[in-house]
Amino acid sequence: MSRTGGSAMARSKDKSVKLPDAGGWQDAIAVPAAIAGAILTTAGFLMAFLWAAPVNGAAVNGFEMIGDTVVTHQQLISQKIFYFHMPAAIVSFFSLAMAAFYGIRFLMTHEQRFDTCSRALMEIALLFVIMTMITGDLWTRFEWGVWWTWEPRLTTYLILMLIVIAYFVLRNAVDEPEKRATFASVVSIIALVDVPICFMVTRMIPSSVHPVVLREGGMSFDMGVTVLVVLIGMLCLGHALYRLRFRSLRLRERLEALKEILDERPMDNPFSGGLPAAVSPVAVHEARETGPKTVLRPNGEPRPNKGKIRSEYPTCLLR
Amino acid sequence: MTAGHARIAAPPPSTPPVPSPAISVRGVSKVFGTRRALDDISFDVPEGAFVSIFGPNGAGKTTLLRVLATLARPTSGQVVLQGVDTKEEPDQARSLLGLISHAPMVYPDLTAEENLLFYAEMYGVQDPKARVDELLDAVGLAHRRHDAVRTFSRGMTQRVAIARALIHDPRIVLLDEPYSGLDPYAVDVFDSLLSDLQGGRTFVMVSHDLKKGLAMCSHALVMAQGQLVSFQAKDEIDAVAFERLYRQVVGMGVA
Amino acid sequence: MMQYARPKKPSTWQHFCILLRKDLRREFRTREMLTSMGLYALLVIIVFGAALALTARDIDIVSMGGGLIWVLIVFTSLLGLGRSFSYEKDQGCIEGVLLVPMDRSVIFLAKAVANMLFMLVVEVIAVPLFYFFFMTGSETSSTFLWIIAPLVLGTIGMAGIGTMLSTITMHTRAADVMLAVLFVPIIFPLLYACTTATTASILGSVAWMDYYVIPLVIAAGFDIIMLLVCWVLYDFVISS
Repeated sequence: MSRTGGSAMARSKDKSVKLPDAGGWQDAIAVPAAIAGAILTTAGFLMAFLWAAPVNGAAVNGFEMIGDTVVTHQQLISQKIFYFHMPAAIVSFFSLAMAAFYGIRFLMTHEQRFDTCSRALMEIALLFVIMTMITGDLWTRFEWGVWWTWEPRLTTYLILMLIVIAYFVLRNAVDEPEKRATFASVVSIIALVDVPICFMVTRMIPSSVHPVVLREGGMSFDMGVTVLVVLIGMLCLGHALYRLRFRSLRLRERLEALKEILDERPMDNPFSGGLPAAVSPVAVHEARETGPKTVLRPNGEPRPNKGKIRSEYPTCLLR
Repeated sequence: MTAGHARIAAPPPSTPPVPSPAISVRGVSKVFGTRRALDDISFDVPEGAFVSIFGPNGAGKTTLLRVLATLARPTSGQVVLQGVDTKEEPDQARSLLGLISHAPMVYPDLTAEENLLFYAEMYGVQDPKARVDELLDAVGLAHRRHDAVRTFSRGMTQRVAIARALIHDPRIVLLDEPYSGLDPYAVDVFDSLLSDLQGGRTFVMVSHDLKKGLAMCSHALVMAQGQLVSFQAKDEIDAVAFERLYRQVVGMGVA
Repeated sequence: MMQYARPKKPSTWQHFCILLRKDLRREFRTREMLTSMGLYALLVIIVFGAALALTARDIDIVSMGGGLIWVLIVFTSLLGLGRSFSYEKDQGCIEGVLLVPMDRSVIFLAKAVANMLFMLVVEVIAVPLFYFFFMTGSETSSTFLWIIAPLVLGTIGMAGIGTMLSTITMHTRAADVMLAVLFVPIIFPLLYACTTATTASILGSVAWMDYYVIPLVIAAGFDIIMLLVCWVLYDFVISS
């Protein structure tokens, strides 16, 4: 209890926890990022086929039978897929790490905003994990001639994909928003811890069906540059998509809040003389979002709390 | 009836009466996103008072009670129970509290005695056996002590629940709609148990039943939409006006 | 009327013992988990029997045995883990426990240990049964009994993570399915390591270091890391 109690205390003392919101510089660069991402990814695509020299594809340690094919060195065009597979994998893992980071922030502050961030990032992670899976699977098919093999990277990404899907299934299965956010944060943190272990396990334990893929001598210059270009492109795309998604989630939250205020129907409220006509629900919402404002308080007197019916009922909603 | 001859209440502690209120709620809000379950609630409950909380469904009554019981954390504000801040010293605050809710919080597969012994040991009650005997006598279940709680009627289970809540002799007892699902006879038994209990303890009860709640209370608290609408001592209450207020508030229903 | 002394807060260790004793007593009274898990294990074995009916003569049951044993354990423990919090939720008991002044992480430790004990008891019955039905005809290695180490390590990790996840899923709709959906991918690394070590000890001989020691070290590492993470996060989950 002391841990949670302590963090909540810190928060109540320091009201100025900076909440991420739609708008601001991140959104300002989202559109340029999307354009840059598209250009860079396209450039990377062209570079992969036109510039980067064909290399030995996967080299397996020794001779491996995969399916009916003996795999040693194959020089195949399918290796080009690697230029998209690896960046997508990196971006997806990066999104997962960020989602877990916001999960931790949520557990520390219990501010819904961080959960929204975490959720949007998880969606981006899912998107890129699926891209990784598809490219990885195509690669296995063309390079090794089988649709699926329990290769460490593929296995890890399959597990990661299942955890991310489970994350969303869990979100759907919890009704209460605060519980949902807490559980989702916890699962995102567990996922982040689990995935590297999963990779290590499949990598370190040799097995007849797990060929260890080695890339000899790392990457050549042209390969490295191509991968880097695509990676930057995909990071830009990921950022743009994340901001877009976060923005739409935030707008939906604010819409829900507005609906709620409208549902409260302050005009019918028996304790109020009705709101001033000028006060629109939007203004009420803004006031709620941005903190105490005196604008909407008709009289400056302290609010009575005891032994008396409140006269300015709706305005106290605004604090 | 069964409860008449034995008293649950331990004698009030010999310490001089503390001037501080039993429950002091200061600016408590519970906010999640834009949803305000509790909105800036403040009130003081004097020692020995019986507070009834009224309000429509979704008004935040149960949330307020859960905040008092330290089961939910307020987003901001402070709850002080007999000088103990629930945020700073949750353990000490919890040892002052007992909660009786409509869920009995006892294991149906264990016997009444085992349930009470379990909780007595968890609270670290001195001489748990004697305390459990005393409580079982008080709620009139001594003869069924070795039967599994699942064989009990709803009223009997609720009596075990009362004994469970009082096992550590809490100074503040919180009641969350304790009457729901009780038959009239069980209600009578419950009433006599409660009146037996009162020596110096502070009670807070969430209630749907205006008549009963008003009859029992010394203070009435009305909530609507997460806000405190009125908090009055009973002798200040004008019954007719209060009932009108209550009807209005309940009529507002859930937003 | 006795003179009433103020309660003295028990130590964390005492809380742990009281909670664990309560779970064991309840299980001893109802035998709900052990019977259901035990029967389920038997049923899975029967399904294996049908599934392998045609191929049992051809395939090498000794090299498949380790994997099948873990299939048995994973599905059986899912059943038990799902149950372990449902009875705490039904009558609101978990709130009764939360009202007690205590360190709430103890709830995790006590529940995880109880679950681990139940799982171990079921394994003690199910694994010999599996041996009886499938492996008495074939020759196993002299290192067969070494499977105890991966079984224990696997059970510790699965009980820990399963307790954490079933605390989460007891608040969800379709709790059992939800538990499986979360549980299986998250324990995958542990499952993988333990299956390898189990198979290695049944087969004996081959590359002892690679197939037995390294997986066990990884399994132990996984247990430690995951139990720590769960223990730290548990307070948030149970208090929400």
